[in-house]
Amino acid sequence: MDAQKTTKRLKANTALREIIAEFYADGHRAKAEGRPVGWIPPMNGLIELFYAMDIHPIFPENWAPVCAAIGTNRENFAACAGHGYADDLCGYFRNNVGYALDGIDAPDQPLGGLPKPDFLISFGAGCIPTMKTFQVLCDHFDCPVIRADLPQVAMEDIGEHHLRYGVAQIKRLIAFLEDLTGRRLDMDRLSQAVAWTDEACRLWDEIMALRAAVPAPFSAAEIGIMFVMVTRHGTPIAVDFLRDVLAEVKERVAQGVGVVPDERLRLFWDNIPLWYNMKLFNYFEKWNAVVVAETYTSAWTLRMDPSRPLESIAYKSLVSYPLVSCVSLEKRLELIRKAVREYRIDGAILHSNRSCKPISMGQLDIQRMLNDELGVPAVLFDGDHMDGDKFAFAPFQTRIDAFIEMLLERRASAHAPNP
Amino acid sequence: MEGCRRRRETAWDGVAWRDAVANHPHLLKAEKARSGRILLGTLCAHAPPEILHAFDIVPVRLWGAGADPGGADPLLQSFICPPVRQIMAMGLAGRYDFLDGLVHAYSCDAACGLFNIWRRNLHPKFAFQLSLPYMDTPEALAYAQVEFRRLITALETLTDRAYEPERLRAAIGLYREARVLLRRAYARKRQDGGPAYADLYRLSLALQVFPVETVLPWLTAFDAAADGPAVAGDAGTTRLMISRSLCADEALFTEIAALGGNIVVDDTCIGYRTLLGEAAPEGDPVTALVRHHLARPPCSARADFPARRAYFLEQIEAFRVEAVVFIHQKFCDPHLADHPFLKTLLEERGIPSLQVELEGEGLTGQIRTRLEGFFEMIGKNGP
Repeated sequence: MDAQKTTKRLKANTALREIIAEFYADGHRAKAEGRPVGWIPPMNGLIELFYAMDIHPIFPENWAPVCAAIGTNRENFAACAGHGYADDLCGYFRNNVGYALDGIDAPDQPLGGLPKPDFLISFGAGCIPTMKTFQVLCDHFDCPVIRADLPQVAMEDIGEHHLRYGVAQIKRLIAFLEDLTGRRLDMDRLSQAVAWTDEACRLWDEIMALRAAVPAPFSAAEIGIMFVMVTRHGTPIAVDFLRDVLAEVKERVAQGVGVVPDERLRLFWDNIPLWYNMKLFNYFEKWNAVVVAETYTSAWTLRMDPSRPLESIAYKSLVSYPLVSCVSLEKRLELIRKAVREYRIDGAILHSNRSCKPISMGQLDIQRMLNDELGVPAVLFDGDHMDGDKFAFAPFQTRIDAFIEMLLERRASAHAPNP
Repeated sequence: MEGCRRRRETAWDGVAWRDAVANHPHLLKAEKARSGRILLGTLCAHAPPEILHAFDIVPVRLWGAGADPGGADPLLQSFICPPVRQIMAMGLAGRYDFLDGLVHAYSCDAACGLFNIWRRNLHPKFAFQLSLPYMDTPEALAYAQVEFRRLITALETLTDRAYEPERLRAAIGLYREARVLLRRAYARKRQDGGPAYADLYRLSLALQVFPVETVLPWLTAFDAAADGPAVAGDAGTTRLMISRSLCADEALFTEIAALGGNIVVDDTCIGYRTLLGEAAPEGDPVTALVRHHLARPPCSARADFPARRAYFLEQIEAFRVEAVVFIHQKFCDPHLADHPFLKTLLEERGIPSLQVELEGEGLTGQIRTRLEGFFEMIGKNGP
């Protein structure tokens, strides 16, 4: 299936395209100028350390959606299969392994492709496919590797000793990076980077909260703005961009400009989007239905303390994974309950994602909680966040059409005058 | 602390050990009804049985043997691995009603999901997630000590009894004794002859689902009879290693033996890996246990490639392995992701290997055909 592009409405998308291109261009510049390029697992708190030490971070997991959007994911899957990896493994794994082992040397890649790593961080942390991806990368690239450790802990169980261990790991990493670069870490620069992340998270929360407005100022179709939350934390780039997004969104809310002219249904989305078919988020608009909140975008609902930079990035590392996965199922349910109330959700779309077990497990509990406890209907559909061959549009359409019609009928009955 | 191994009546008194292992869910259920002992389910060998034993709790490794994975459909999607779906199906069907709770040690993503979904839907009295480090460093030791002590504190609350270091030391001693005996049984497979692999598998499982003081006499008797004429070995001629996570279907081993395979060692989540290493008998028992856990042989879910590679080669050499059968569960991320590099490792050494994938139904005609083809290919068909 060719990549299906979404219809976007925020003007900020123009700036976002430049930020994305610049992020990858900067990686290639770093390589050319002799600044180190480090490949790291996603969703952790280490990026601030990188920027504070003038190291360019590369997130293979962030590259995967780019590949899905530009359509090179299929070549990468084929390359991965050629190396003997099973088709049942996560799409991020298959894309990134295929790309790193074969695709990275292809000529004329979009955005210039990824610069090869000068070092790698291999984590005992997060989900198994991410750990395994980095094990393959460490085996393949001939570069220094630091193995770090951050056990998976449920949000509600995080204690002092978890933070202490996280800080100890970060200190090991700092020593490794100082050896690699021959430079000392400037703690003031790290504090500044943490302050920028904190401000980005604050702005992010403010932007997301504005989606509670009726009509919603933007939908999940604009979810690409989270690119800065993954790649540009610890820099003013994320802060400046999000300030502009906030201003634009505030203006839309003030003027009552919504995604659709006559918003009738407000939807919640659970799990990762289908990166090769972001247009799905526009599919609901024919019924004047809008996806106004998601689980995935809550991964940055956290605050950082610049006066305790090491503890802050350790905390960010600890919470990033359990916040959206089945490690903290009860917390996730709590988050969804809150979203349903705050965003006045009429129905929920649950993407049962073959590529992501940690996020997909627990969805049947989520569905039951929504239906039974909150009276919010929820529909589950089968898909995959990276592999279009594992998603069939026709069954999706049949299921979603029936679901939306049911929601509309419910709404009509609720507003009908009593006989 | 002789009390730790004291003879007490159990529901499996008088049951032959092979039958007891085969019927362990029924016997454990009967034991619960009979004695009211606390039984806690574990999802992986990283949940320390010694600590549970020190509180007179029976650790029971959950085992989805014989269950229809479809029974988990109300709670788990079809793309979750069969063992996790089978365990959930058994839980939903009430077949694990005798358990008082679960202890989980982040074996893998699916096991973590199972733990949380089980907790939410089956409401066990006790549920504990142990977040163990992946590395063996001084910081990891300090950290894991706190994690183990958290578990101890939770068990103190559950059992309403204080932690006694001597009881833990005694439990460590009992498990050490059992592992030494079982390791000795495996060691006999290093030479020609030795016991049948199916028995090693059953004894490994026994140590995961019955109290250690129950298994010790079985192991002692097995060890004593090891060199006698009454012990049946494997007749196959191809010295084989099997590599897998969980596999509850003994028919696979029987089939492999019938085709000429002699399973001499395994790389599995219930098997030889769980027997290696020992907690030191002296000093603080929690520290000794943590050191033992951090230094355990590398499993697919918790170790990196260099560690796995070294361990794999070591066993192949020690047991003179001539061929490897990877018995993978469908959708098992850790093992599926390890398979290509292990396969390459074997190819480089001229050791043939086969991968079969299980979908919850055990030995199927298709798997039988693939095994037949493999043994024909390596030219040692038939014992």
